[in-house]
Amino acid sequence: MTPAPSYLRIAAVALGLGIIYAAGLRIAVRASEAPVTFNRQIAPILYKNCTTCHHPGGGGPFSLLTYEEVRRRAPQIVQVTASRFMPPWLPEHGYGDFADERRLSSDEIVLIQKWVSAGMPRGDDPAPPVPHYNETWGLGKPDLILTIQRPATLPASGSDIFLNFVLPYPLDKTHYIRAMEIRPGTPQVVHHANVLIDRTGSWRRAHPDNWRDGVPGMELIVDAGDTFDPDSHFLFWKPDTPVLIEAPGMPWRLDPGNDLILNMHLKPSGKPETIDAQIGLYFSEKPPTKQPMLLQLEHDGALDIPPGDSDFVVEDQLKLPVDVDVLGVYPHAHYLGKDLQGYAILPDGKKTWLIWIRDWDIDRQSVYRYRKPVYLPKGTTIHMRYTYDNSSGNVRNPNDPPIRVRAGNRSVDEMGHLWLQVLPVNMPPHSPDPRLLLEAAWMQDRLRKAPNDTLALYNLAAALTAEGKYADAAQTYKKVVGIDPNDARAWNGLGVALENSSDWQNAQQAFEKASAADPALTDATFNLAKSQLDHGDASAADQSFRAVLRQSPNDAAAHSGLAQALLREGNQETAQAEFQSALRIDPQNLDALEGLGQIALNSGQSTLALDLLGRASQRNPDDPIIRQQLALAYAQSGRYADALGQLKEALRLSPDDPQVHAMLSQVVEATGDLRQAIAEQQKALDLNSSDADGWNNLGVLEARSGNAAAAREDFEHALRIAPNHVAAKANLARLNTGAKAQ
Amino acid sequence: MQCPIDSWRSSTWRFVGRVLAVFVALQSAALAATAFYGVDLKGHPVMLSQSTAPAIVLFFTASDCPISNRYEPEMLRLEKEFAPSGVEFWWVYPNPEDTVTTIRRHEVQFPGSAHVIRDTQQTLIQSAHATVTPEAAIFVRRSGTLREVYHGRIDDRYISFGEERPQAMHHELEAAIAAVLAGRPVRQPGGPPVGCSIVPLEVVSSHR
Repeated sequence: MTPAPSYLRIAAVALGLGIIYAAGLRIAVRASEAPVTFNRQIAPILYKNCTTCHHPGGGGPFSLLTYEEVRRRAPQIVQVTASRFMPPWLPEHGYGDFADERRLSSDEIVLIQKWVSAGMPRGDDPAPPVPHYNETWGLGKPDLILTIQRPATLPASGSDIFLNFVLPYPLDKTHYIRAMEIRPGTPQVVHHANVLIDRTGSWRRAHPDNWRDGVPGMELIVDAGDTFDPDSHFLFWKPDTPVLIEAPGMPWRLDPGNDLILNMHLKPSGKPETIDAQIGLYFSEKPPTKQPMLLQLEHDGALDIPPGDSDFVVEDQLKLPVDVDVLGVYPHAHYLGKDLQGYAILPDGKKTWLIWIRDWDIDRQSVYRYRKPVYLPKGTTIHMRYTYDNSSGNVRNPNDPPIRVRAGNRSVDEMGHLWLQVLPVNMPPHSPDPRLLLEAAWMQDRLRKAPNDTLALYNLAAALTAEGKYADAAQTYKKVVGIDPNDARAWNGLGVALENSSDWQNAQQAFEKASAADPALTDATFNLAKSQLDHGDASAADQSFRAVLRQSPNDAAAHSGLAQALLREGNQETAQAEFQSALRIDPQNLDALEGLGQIALNSGQSTLALDLLGRASQRNPDDPIIRQQLALAYAQSGRYADALGQLKEALRLSPDDPQVHAMLSQVVEATGDLRQAIAEQQKALDLNSSDADGWNNLGVLEARSGNAAAAREDFEHALRIAPNHVAAKANLARLNTGAKAQ
Repeated sequence: MQCPIDSWRSSTWRFVGRVLAVFVALQSAALAATAFYGVDLKGHPVMLSQSTAPAIVLFFTASDCPISNRYEPEMLRLEKEFAPSGVEFWWVYPNPEDTVTTIRRHEVQFPGSAHVIRDTQQTLIQSAHATVTPEAAIFVRRSGTLREVYHGRIDDRYISFGEERPQAMHHELEAAIAAVLAGRPVRQPGGPPVGCSIVPLEVVSSHR
């Protein structure tokens, strides 16, 4: 659904150090005669700010751990610290307070200059301890290591290259990821890397021939699938961020069938380099308790920069529909980006800076995490304001001479994105998923800029569907198919929205259009089949489910669906076989467990029924219908106490279901509690007074308890509803002849 | 800036900036006859001053300098382009740390030219006025001595640290070699070289 950037986390740096240095420095500056030495002042500055990259095997091009190594680079160190090229840190100080700020103070820069001018003395003080950097996995052996399928070769020379590698998640069980380490193989040639989660394997399918080898491209779009599951984490690597540890309560999820896509920005080194990256994953036992979301501001449609224009501005804004904490920010542009600003205007008009980069450099791009979350109340408008330089004065301009530049995926094209990681806060309990509101606001923002943006329309419609606003969703899907009548997924979505708006006739037409637009979209055929089944056309459903199975023979849900259709058609034997096929494919298939349980129940095989329905109930403990069936199975085996337990659970889950009260009446009657049985049957009839069987049953209970007058009234009630009710007629006749009702 | 070889002695701008540097090169040319040599990886001196090539191009490089390394393919390209015209190319390692073993290891990683020498006394960097790696110099024979006609960056891909073009706009060294071969005036580079400082001999000795 969305291109995703990612997150970074810097190896913890003792914050106290900065303060100590600043103090030591003041002394050094004041007492100008005191010698600046490597051991005393310089090494600590380097160990705090430089050696996380500049160590053997690190992302920096050379090591700065030892006195000799530093002396060898001293004139360069003076130069690059003075110009603030190093340490790499783009955000303007004071415009966003970032947890991982890597920036030298002016005093520290002066100190380095003094040291070099003084001849770079080592000093007589004891050398500070040299930091140790892991050459293996930072958090120990990962729970899972993924490796790119085939090592790629980066040519010795040429422009930078952007390659995407697919790393399929190989496990058959969902895991939550609390930490990730990317080991790019040759970190010196990797500027940065992003990891995206492809929930549906869409990108791999879109590149069947070369996904193993690395596919060029700076940005990518993946298909998010059917469920609302927005990107939530910045999974970002740059040379000084070896391990990405997620905040407590915020692991991210990998499901069977997911792919990780490693998007790498590679810089040729002068010799051919082998790119053999690995991703190490550390699992968490616990699922997330907090659900952040990534939001994007952009206006790529406005990116149309004339050659020579050195001040081209692109803006976007997004109004927040809920209160959020902003956790991190990832500004992104290509080579023409110059001045990148992100800020928020609060409802009271106050301006809060999120980030300001005055001299954008794609080579040093990064995700920035806030030291403390930035709270933005509902109604805040977030602004992006990016300025581009497409003149020949911009040395990074990839076009010589400059040409007109528009948005695109190549490095000669441009982009302007401001990504935010936000955590919705202050939501009242039981309110709908606030991320749906954010998604809808985001997509509405995109539509304000481009009303025919079908991706935004589709995502908005999907969010509305998830919010339960089916009529609005249907309207929005209709816009998509109005623009693109061949958009099979939009037709399918429209069908779902209409089905849920009780307009099943039009829903079925929409599903048919979806199948016509893309016969391979079995989801639409499946939905059509389900609709046919639900609306009484079992034989059509039978045909449709078979059509799904011709394309996807291992679709367990389609086997179950076909079985349900066959049951309705009275073909229990074939239905049983189809349910069994479903269970062979998916031993936990709920419909199959329930269907086979029902068949066992009907044929009096109560032990088998108990096993199957028990498994179904374990799979979905909150389904009152399964509880009722299970109660029936218990009652059938004479285990009335267990049956009662299941019915009480069913009642807890759906207190106003007359069926449950009626069943409860039967079971307590079987245990001999006639009074309670009458009370439950009366409750059932209070909830549904048009149930002739119910009135007849109540009559029987009244008759047994000796209340013939009440019983007579009940039988007559049943016959008023259903004049030909055989049992009620017979019971009334018995009562009239003074015989005891059976 | 135009700097015609045959008229530079009388140039009125010789005391200005870059021309001054060229002038100094000229002064040192007298030493070249005796001191202009490097040491090959077997330890034998290579007397560049005895070369009869129409031009000698020196590439100052270092095994541990990422920018030099990134220029290896470009340096090889230039050698391939001009060697057929008789131009001699030398990869010169001036840093004291670049021992024979280190250079051999580096040459395995970055297979380059066979013309590798060490500037053990750093006389070549002095004659060429080189300060960083990568940096290039062109020498031509005039009146029996070698004179430097170009020194500085290979091209304008790097403007400074952090300012890098996606590809070079001006291949300044290439143009200069071509100019020498065609007998045209040699244009000096339009900006300073960007790379790793060359490590002076005395710094190393004074701290060891």
